[in-house]
Amino acid sequence: MNVNERWIAVLAILVATGCGARETPGRGADSATARTTTTTSSSGDVALPAMASRSAAWLPPGAGNGDWLMPSRDYAGTRYSPLNEIDTTNVAQLQLAWTFDDGESHYGHEMTPLVANNTMYIVSPFPNRAFALDLTKPGAPVKWEYEPNPSPIAIGKACCDAVNRGAALYDGKLIYNLLDDHTVAVDAKTGKELWRTKLTNVEDGTTMTMAPLVVDGKVYVGNSGGEMGVAGWLAALDVNTGKELWRAYSVGPDSLVRIGADFKPFYSWMRGKDLGATTWPANAWKHGAGAVWGWVTYDPDLKQIYYGTSNTGPWNAAQRPGLNLWTSSVFARKADNGMATWAYAMTPHNEWDYDAVNENILVDIPIKGQTRKVMVQFNRNGYAYTIDRTTGEVLVAKPFGHENWSSGIDPTTAMPIVNADKHTVPPGRWVRDICPADVGVKDFEPSAFSPRTGLFYVSVQNICMDYRGREVSYIAGTPYWGADMTRHVGPGGNYGEFIAFDAATGTKVWGIPEPFLTYSGAMATAGDLAFYGTVDGWFRAVNARTGKVLWSRKLGSGIISAPMAFTAPDGHEYIAIAAGVGGGAMTTASQPGFPARGSSYYVFTLGQNIPATAPSSRGGEGGAGKKQGGKP
Amino acid sequence: MTLTERRSRIAALVATGGMVIALGACHQDKQVVRGGSQGDVTLPQQQARVANATDTTGLPAEGALARVAIGDLAGVGNNTLDADVANPYANDRASVEVGHEYFINMNCASCHGYDLKGGMGPDLTDTYWRYGGSPADIYKSIFEGRPQGMPAWGRALPPAVIWKLVSYIQSKGGTYPGSLADRGRQGDLGDNTDTTSFSTLKGRNNVH
Repeated sequence: MNVNERWIAVLAILVATGCGARETPGRGADSATARTTTTTSSSGDVALPAMASRSAAWLPPGAGNGDWLMPSRDYAGTRYSPLNEIDTTNVAQLQLAWTFDDGESHYGHEMTPLVANNTMYIVSPFPNRAFALDLTKPGAPVKWEYEPNPSPIAIGKACCDAVNRGAALYDGKLIYNLLDDHTVAVDAKTGKELWRTKLTNVEDGTTMTMAPLVVDGKVYVGNSGGEMGVAGWLAALDVNTGKELWRAYSVGPDSLVRIGADFKPFYSWMRGKDLGATTWPANAWKHGAGAVWGWVTYDPDLKQIYYGTSNTGPWNAAQRPGLNLWTSSVFARKADNGMATWAYAMTPHNEWDYDAVNENILVDIPIKGQTRKVMVQFNRNGYAYTIDRTTGEVLVAKPFGHENWSSGIDPTTAMPIVNADKHTVPPGRWVRDICPADVGVKDFEPSAFSPRTGLFYVSVQNICMDYRGREVSYIAGTPYWGADMTRHVGPGGNYGEFIAFDAATGTKVWGIPEPFLTYSGAMATAGDLAFYGTVDGWFRAVNARTGKVLWSRKLGSGIISAPMAFTAPDGHEYIAIAAGVGGGAMTTASQPGFPARGSSYYVFTLGQNIPATAPSSRGGEGGAGKKQGGKP
Repeated sequence: MTLTERRSRIAALVATGGMVIALGACHQDKQVVRGGSQGDVTLPQQQARVANATDTTGLPAEGALARVAIGDLAGVGNNTLDADVANPYANDRASVEVGHEYFINMNCASCHGYDLKGGMGPDLTDTYWRYGGSPADIYKSIFEGRPQGMPAWGRALPPAVIWKLVSYIQSKGGTYPGSLADRGRQGDLGDNTDTTSFSTLKGRNNVH
């Protein structure tokens, strides 16, 4: 049976059983525990109890167990919900509670909905409308809508769809970026704009798509535009006024990069003065990208932020001999003044568009018998890096999917060992079957981590490319790209896979192959579930320990957003996800069966919690007896 | 080819457009880079830029192009003003080749694809045109720019070069002649025999 046939068989089983094969209840801890909506260390089955009971400093202020105030829920970036009402024994009874549509189906939906104070907050792709939905009322009607009216010029400057990756709730404000390079803060109660800060000119080719991180009164925002010849940066704004406090460039002399006496990279090849300028041909760094369009995480103990930088510009590496620091790198910086403490270039002299912007998840895990404070990044280049987040030392670097551009990471220097036949320099000739393709073994779609299992949950891409470098000139406002390519599916013929990964050893624990790309974020819950979506629109819940699919629903479009869990005013656990394919997933749009775009949000809970579904409901709110147009 | 050579090449290409070129020293676009304690730093972008050319001999008058509307005409019912301004370089192989070189060197290809099949920007080979697909429409879109990120090239490139870019796009088969601009805007190109570009677009109920 080939992969497609196997999947048809699996889908047939799913259809036959209505909502996926329900797993037999597992050990007592799974099935017998009372289902409260809070997590506790009640189960003896927790792999990392210290991680599970981390202090409140790892969460945005005021976040309860049933809240979700930032896209990754916590500052560590785990996307772990402590809710456990929905678990491996009952997830098969998940039903649709309500839906919402933001009306912006032209562009991909990469965000995570947020919930606080019985309100759900949603930010649409361009034109970046914000909606507050009142969870206390049936069907969660719109409480307010905010229209920022960004410049449409931005649409054509965004390389890869006019997306937005979400907002942050902090101190009664909803804070997010507009595609046209403004950051806005909106009163979370009223939807009134509190401040709007212009970060740069959209006409130069810069856009903003990332979700801000807000910590200790500072809003951290970065730019997109790695294909437009920008110089990447991360800026810190005052949360009360929007005033810019500092900006740290990813390229250029140390003064621009905010490198000073505190900067101590672990590896000697990254030590020296002004390397962000001197590892380039003269002035090439000015258009060298290193955009900051991914995720920022924060360690409240070390008081450091962590983030990665984008691809090197232009893609045609022949035009920029040198290591091209600090593109395709990660930075650790002091959260207060932005001064760098260490950096590490994952793909120096990047010839393949392997950005390093993916999430850096901050966990404390035992490695060779000793608990280490690490950050884990599943990089586009196909390596999962487990790095000491205090020193920048690479502890583990192993492939987590199919790659063939390198034969490993040198254990002494932590530099990749590039396979000679995958160099794209000199340009002007086709280099065949480079794996992964530009979009990577994983793109921005964020992974999750469960302290209960000690595992990471990752959407993996199995995609390769034929690539030809092209000479390109810098012309402001136009792409500074310099490549031509076609993409194809990798070995096995499945574009996607959802895996569980042990970052302490660099090993895959289990995997679920998917015929279509997996380009959604992941979520792990205290119910020992992991959730993910596929580009053909399947939203699935799996046993986080075994990888067995317990529940699946086909949504209206492909899923490239990330799921979240919250407690509704009824006291029950709900799961939300958006379905609106777009972004980098469109690289596989020619695959037969690829869905149309969409803009709907789906909210699920156990069927017994839904009045219209529960057998005991008789003419209650939202039931069949409701008068059309009347108030409930 | 080094970047410097490349810039020289671009300058040479402009010269082959037959225009009087005032190619100054590199245009100094200012991009302000705020850099913390270092204060403001200005980056010269070293962008080669061509001045407006003055010689438009044999090219359609600007006034004629100004009469070509993007939208339909209010008060005219189902007849929009036609865009029947011919491209003086249409079907000229040398001009198509010059247009091709500009299409790559001005980074048009980076948005619309080296094969013109689209990417960040729309496909230029199909017969769907958001802002019209006659030569005059396309000239205006290049010259004026369009709101969703298409830059305006009217100050960077002389008119003859823009017409040659139009020639190159016309050579890919997705455009329609100005005489069909009315129908194109109304989605009624049908199976006209006076163009080969639309042989695949059959069966529309033409009212003309």
